[in-house]
Amino acid sequence: MKAIEIKELKKSYGNVPVLKGIDLEIEEGEIFALLGPNGAGKTTLIRILAEGLSYDSGSIKIFGEVLNKKTARFIGYVPQESISYDLLTVEENLKFYADLYDAPKERIYELIDRFALPKKKKAKELSGGFRRRLNLAISLLYDPKILILDEPSLGLDVPSRRELWNLIGEFKEGGKTILIATHYMDEAEVLADRIGIMNEGRIIALGTADELKALIGEESIIFVEGFLKGLEKLRNEFRLVEKESGARIHVKNSKESLPKIVETLVKSGSEVRTIKIEEPTLEDVFLQLTGRSLE
Amino acid sequence: MKLRAIKGIIIKDLRELRREKMALFWIFIFPLMWITLFGTMWGGQSPPMSLDVGVVYTNESSGFTAYDVVRIMENVTLEGVHIFKIKEFSKKESGIDALKHGKIDSLIIFPSGFGGNISAGKQAKIYIYFDKSDPQQYQIVRGTVMGFFSEMEKKMREKRLEVQLKYMEAHIPKDIAEYNISPEAMREYLIASAEPLKVEEKEVSGKNPTPIQFYITSFIGIQFLFATMLTIGSGTLEEIEKGTLRRIAASPATAWDFLTGKMLSTFLIIMLSILVGLGYAKLVFGETIVPSLFGWLIIFIASVFSMSLGLAIAMVTRSIKSTTAVVNFISMPLLFLAGIVIPESIVPSWARPIVNYFALGRALKDFRLLEIYHRPTSEIMPGFILITVETVAVFLIAISLYNWVIKRLEA
Repeated sequence: MKAIEIKELKKSYGNVPVLKGIDLEIEEGEIFALLGPNGAGKTTLIRILAEGLSYDSGSIKIFGEVLNKKTARFIGYVPQESISYDLLTVEENLKFYADLYDAPKERIYELIDRFALPKKKKAKELSGGFRRRLNLAISLLYDPKILILDEPSLGLDVPSRRELWNLIGEFKEGGKTILIATHYMDEAEVLADRIGIMNEGRIIALGTADELKALIGEESIIFVEGFLKGLEKLRNEFRLVEKESGARIHVKNSKESLPKIVETLVKSGSEVRTIKIEEPTLEDVFLQLTGRSLE
Repeated sequence: MKLRAIKGIIIKDLRELRREKMALFWIFIFPLMWITLFGTMWGGQSPPMSLDVGVVYTNESSGFTAYDVVRIMENVTLEGVHIFKIKEFSKKESGIDALKHGKIDSLIIFPSGFGGNISAGKQAKIYIYFDKSDPQQYQIVRGTVMGFFSEMEKKMREKRLEVQLKYMEAHIPKDIAEYNISPEAMREYLIASAEPLKVEEKEVSGKNPTPIQFYITSFIGIQFLFATMLTIGSGTLEEIEKGTLRRIAASPATAWDFLTGKMLSTFLIIMLSILVGLGYAKLVFGETIVPSLFGWLIIFIASVFSMSLGLAIAMVTRSIKSTTAVVNFISMPLLFLAGIVIPESIVPSWARPIVNYFALGRALKDFRLLEIYHRPTSEIMPGFILITVETVAVFLIAISLYNWVIKRLEA
C-alpha cells in the first residue's frame, strides 16, 4: 500500500514558485530520502505534509485518504530545529506534547527508556544528540505510521549521527514508513531504499542509489588530491568539482584522460599527492543532472 | 476544543514561569518592591507641614502692630509643630526675590500705617504674595495663610464687638419700649451681624483610603499595564518564533486551543501575583484590600482587556523586542495619565478623559470606588459597562489579528 501519494503538487510564496509540480509515491515500510541542496523545496514539501502548510494545487493522500487534520495523525514529524522547551525537563516536555497529541501517559516512559533520555534534565542542558533524540521521542508519542525527518543529522557529530542512523533502521524494522529530507548524500545512500533528487522545486530523478548512479552512464571519476594549480585549464574539457582536499574530474575514458590531466596539473606547478579512479557518487549524479554541486 | 491540550499548555506555561527568573522578578518581586517602597514612604503618619513665610513691616508705636501679628503667627502650632517659620525682610524687593527663588512659600507685606489703622479701629491692608508655579503647593500655602488671617479677622471682630456692646450697654436704656427691643436681643443681633454663620468643626472617623490601600490598587494597575500585556504578547511570539505554535497547530489541538490555554495561564499568573501582593501588604503593613465578588469581576474584565491589548500589539509588531518597546511606550505615560499610580485629583485636566474612558484607567477608578470608598454597585455600573464594551472590542480586534498571523503561518 502507498503510504504517501503526491500528485502535481504546486506551491508558491508570493510570485516565487517553490514547488513546481511534485509527483511522488512512497510505499508503506519504505525509507525514502529527498536529496537536494538548500532551497530545493524539501522543507516546504515536508511542511505541507507535516505542518498543514497550504499549497496552491495538486493532491496529497496518506494511506489512500486525503491529507487533513485526521490523517495527519499518521505522520510524526521531526523538524530540523529543537521543538523542546529549554526550561522544561525531558519528562515535562514529553508530558506537554502528550497532552497536545492526546497520547497515553505510559508512552512517555516507554520513550524515555527507549531513547535512554535523562528525564529530570532540562532540555537546555542536553547535548545536540540528546536534543535530537528528544525531538524523535516527541514525534513518536502517538506512535505514527509515517515518520518524517527534516535534515536529521544536521549539526550532529559522527557518533551521534551513526546512532541516529541505527535508530532510523530500527524504526523501519518496526514497520514505519520513513521520509528523510537531507542534503547529505551519504545519509541518503546509507539509509534510503529509494532516493528522490530535488532541484529548484522539482524531483529531477528518482530511484535506488544504484539506479541513480547508472544515470551517469559510462563516465568515471578521477579524484586528484594535493596542492593543485591549473584546474581552470581542465575545466574547458572536463566537468569538475573542487573539494577542500582536491578535485573530482568527470571523464569519458579514464585511461586516455588520466595522462593528460596529470600533465596539465604538473606543468601548472601543482603538487599532486594522490590520484585515484573512483565510483560515481550521488553528488556526481546531481552534478550530471543539474550542472552544479550539491553543497 | 481539546481540554487536555489546553490543560497541557497552562501547566507548561506555569512550569516555565517557575524557572524564568526575569519573569518571576517582573511579575512578583517588582510589584512587592513597589508596595514596600511606597508603603514605607507614604504609609506612615506624616507630621503637619510647616511653611516658610517672609514678612516685611515697619516698626510702629501704636497699641497693636504688624510685629504683634507676626509674633502670633510664629506661635501657631498644630500637633506641636510650628506652622509658620517667619523670615523677616527689610525690603519688599528682597522678599519677592526670595519667593521667586523658592526660599520662602509666601510673602506678607504690612504697609506703613498698618498698626495705626488697626489700633484706631480702621480698615488695615495686608498684601500677600504667593508663587503659583506649583498649583498644588500654591493651594496648600494659600489655604494655610488665608486661613490664619481669616481666623485672626474673626477674633478681631469679636474683640471689637465686645467693646461696642460694652459701650451700648452703658448708654442705651434697659428697655426701649417703643421699639420693643431688649438690650439682650440687640446684643444677639449685633453678634450675628458680625458673624452670620457659626461653623463648628466636628470629626468622624471616615472610610478614606489609606496610602497603602491606594498603592495596592496601583500595583494591580501596574500588573495590567505591564506584566499581563507582556506575558501574553511575548509568550505567543516566542512560540511563533520557535516554531512550536506551528507544531501545536499541526497537532490535534488547534491554534485556538493554544490561545485559550495561553490566556488562561496568563490570567492565573496575574491572579496569583495579585493575591501575593494583597497578602504581602497585609503581612508587612497590616492592611490590605479584600475584593468583593464584583471587585474580582472588574479585575477579570480588566485582565481580559489587558491580555487582548498585549496580544494585538504582539500580532502587529510580530517581534518580542518591538512588543516590549511598544508596551513600555504606551504603559509608562499611562501609569500617570490614567491615574494608575497617582490619584485622579492630580491628573491634569486634559488627561482626565483617559482616566474615565480608557478601560484600564476606568477599571482601576471603579475598583477604587468600590473597594476603598465603598460606593454602591449602581454607581459603578456605568463604568463597568463601558470597560466591558471596550474589552469585547479590543478582544475581537486581537483575535482577528491572531487569526491573520496564524493564516500567514499556514500559507
